[in-house]
Amino acid sequence: MLPPMWPKKASLAIVTFGVLVLLLEVAKFARPFTAGEALDFRPRNTPAIEPFAPIPAFKAPAAASRRPILEPNLIDPHDALRAFYLALWRTEVGAPGAVTRVLHYGDSPVTADSITADVRSLLQQHFGDAGHGFVLIAKPWAWYGHRGVEVQGKGWHIAAATQTRARDGFHGLGGVSFEGDTGASSRLVLAEDHAQIEIQYLRQPGGGVLTVEAAGQTLGDVETEGPAKEPGFQTFPLPAGARTIQLSVERGPVRLFGVSFERNTPGVIYNSLGLNGGQVQVVVRYFDKPQWTEELRHQHPDLVVINYGTNESIYADYIERYYPGELRQVIERVKAAVPGASILIMSPMDRGQRDSNSHITTVPALPRLVEIQRQTAAEMNCAFFNTFQAMGGEGTMARWYDSQPRLVSADFTHPLPAGARKVGVLLDQALESGYRQFKAREQQRIAQRETHQ
Amino acid sequence: MLLTTAAYFSFLAAVFFAYWLAARYRLGALAVVLFANYFFYARWDLAYLAIIPAASTCDFFIGQALHRSTHPGLRRLIVTLSIALNIGLIASVKYLPVLPWVLPLALSFYGFQSLTYTIDIYRRDAQPAESYLAYLASASFFPTTVAGPITRLSTLWPQWSKREMLSAENGGKALFLIGLGLVKKLLIADFLAESLVNRVFDLPKLYSGAEVLAGAYGYALQLYYDFSGYTDIALGSALLLGITLPPNFNRPYAAQNISDFWRRWHISFSNWLRDYLYFSLPGLRSRWKVFAYLNLVITMMLGGLWHGAGWTFLVWGAWHGVGLAVHRWWQTLRGKRTPAPALAARFARAFLTFHFVLIGWIFFRASSLDTARDILYQITSGTISFVNITPAFVLVAVFAAAAHYIPKRWYDGGLRLYCQSPYYAQAAAIAAVVVAIRYAGGASAAPFIYSRF
Repeated sequence: MLPPMWPKKASLAIVTFGVLVLLLEVAKFARPFTAGEALDFRPRNTPAIEPFAPIPAFKAPAAASRRPILEPNLIDPHDALRAFYLALWRTEVGAPGAVTRVLHYGDSPVTADSITADVRSLLQQHFGDAGHGFVLIAKPWAWYGHRGVEVQGKGWHIAAATQTRARDGFHGLGGVSFEGDTGASSRLVLAEDHAQIEIQYLRQPGGGVLTVEAAGQTLGDVETEGPAKEPGFQTFPLPAGARTIQLSVERGPVRLFGVSFERNTPGVIYNSLGLNGGQVQVVVRYFDKPQWTEELRHQHPDLVVINYGTNESIYADYIERYYPGELRQVIERVKAAVPGASILIMSPMDRGQRDSNSHITTVPALPRLVEIQRQTAAEMNCAFFNTFQAMGGEGTMARWYDSQPRLVSADFTHPLPAGARKVGVLLDQALESGYRQFKAREQQRIAQRETHQ
Repeated sequence: MLLTTAAYFSFLAAVFFAYWLAARYRLGALAVVLFANYFFYARWDLAYLAIIPAASTCDFFIGQALHRSTHPGLRRLIVTLSIALNIGLIASVKYLPVLPWVLPLALSFYGFQSLTYTIDIYRRDAQPAESYLAYLASASFFPTTVAGPITRLSTLWPQWSKREMLSAENGGKALFLIGLGLVKKLLIADFLAESLVNRVFDLPKLYSGAEVLAGAYGYALQLYYDFSGYTDIALGSALLLGITLPPNFNRPYAAQNISDFWRRWHISFSNWLRDYLYFSLPGLRSRWKVFAYLNLVITMMLGGLWHGAGWTFLVWGAWHGVGLAVHRWWQTLRGKRTPAPALAARFARAFLTFHFVLIGWIFFRASSLDTARDILYQITSGTISFVNITPAFVLVAVFAAAAHYIPKRWYDGGLRLYCQSPYYAQAAAIAAVVVAIRYAGGASAAPFIYSRF
């Protein structure tokens, strides 16, 4: 007997709804899921992210067994990083002019100086700050940035190797060419004093004149006229306190590739060379080989980091068929250009996507791409940093997306500043740990030799 | 226990049956509601079982004291005590460094509702609650706990005393509102957020101006469907117990001016701000009209700060405050109302008002002023690319926008049809919604946006 105020219809509807949900469970409607699942729309758990959770190490090649590897994600059995470590050592002891130069090529996260800014900052804290290094003179993408330098440019025709490419393939060190007629200009504002600025441009027949000013004072002109197309470099000392640099095309056309800021102190220069949409394919196909070679040589790098893979990771077929060959070509080009430099292949970060169950999972081909990078690095005597494993392996972006605060953007690809810093710290720790081990080994070897003598 | 979880719906069904079993006896029904309220709070954190009864008891006795006291100074002192208690409660849970982590549920809506009780009695606008139990049940009524609607408590307890049956029509309306709320939240709001909005607001510089603009439009729709979806579920839940809560939305993006917008958006909050903050500020009756305008700006800025102690919310509040003040000034200048404008003029007004509101939403959603600036910069950059806008996003956004503007009689017709349907059809419709959400929506839902306020 129901009470007199009993809402009959609403109760029947609720009970029927409950029965229907139970039936869905019993019948395994279309695919198995429970009644609880059907109604459970709770927010995902937000597990705390362990900054350095135990990471399964890759099995290192046999040659590595002669010495312990304390940093499991930095694989360097052939001492490929020796040149870099030696440079770092010289820098650490403060030898005059001992600048360690790193070129870090990468894709969109690097374009915004994410990760690279953090590695730069950490290395410079520990080994000295030798300057910002390479900076583009305008923003090919709104996303472009370099921490500590404000960049504004106007009137430039911008040709990035990943977009509206320069027909001649001359994209400079950073992969972007800026062509300006009379009136084109750029303004760069530094957060701290630097000793000099280097203008990187194209010498060419009919080339115009660029005026360089600092804090309102003219530093000089860059004559870009030359008998043939070739990279040109001109350095101007910066007056003390001059932090606003103005580049103006006095007479066009002038073609620039970027500028580089340096101090006159021992330290690290960590050049951030990101390309939006960057891939090894772009370097192989759209970087003019002789010009890029000359640009690389001019830099005298101690370490070249090749950090592509995010954009390739969604093309499983391409990864199997073409990627290994193109990665090899890039490495060969760098080796040919700067044979004395160390090369580090840095794997992409994890990249997530929503699967059919709406869960965030790692892009399926990404682990395979990372494995190809590891193998290629080992075969070509390069060091390899497994960013993917270091940050937690498969499913990291799902955890990063759910963490508080969030570490990755809602595209499950681009790290937010805290996520980028995490990766920057991981890379810095790996490099510095490798360096400490190298130094200890070398000191031990020197001591042994002295004992024998 | 969010209002979209299986736990919540199981809880609601249990409360429904228990309440109507006990409905013959007022005391029994109130005991069921009070137990349900405290159970609901306890599911968030047991600490609420101490905080809420204690605060409610204080307010109950403050109300009694205010009613009995005739001494103006004493009454002012007593009401100040209540204001300090409730604002202190809101502020400590929201802004103290530790409490927001310990206590996941902000007590804003509880505090605002409690203040309506004591301030109304202070102003002699309401009588105190006769029953302690009815007051406790009203002050902590679980459907309004997470994000309102902010209900004047003096309108709640008379409803406990009515002891009316739940009509078939109201029962149908309650289920309809719950189903509609789930669709709004899980099929529209969360989909728009995941598809584009979150990405654009995370890293706006990665996207073209057109994509960022689409993301901003998407956010305007997401926020409306998220919040009104929650409100529908809350209204439906209360109605299942025979309690009518005030509406919170009335097609806000069809507003003809900014004052009209605030009569249609988060109505219970704007009414609260008007009645308990704006009217309480000094200078309102001054002959200097500037005070009235200034008070509008101050009221909205405080309303902005209630959402969070950040510059973005302050700018959002100031933006609306200045908009309201300018509109009020314009109305004063213009004098009496002109005849109803033509359709084109109405459209133009709604278009302008919506875009004024949209600019405010950019600040409301952005994580920082820099991000808001980047979003506005990108929108005005004129860059056009649609690669990140999927057809599904466009489809859902267009559907959501169209649904927002459908004539009220269509909505009423749909509601009537549902209410007149037999119980099994009503149950099947809700089950169909659940299945649709399970298949078309995400496996998990984001928390309601306003639950964090």
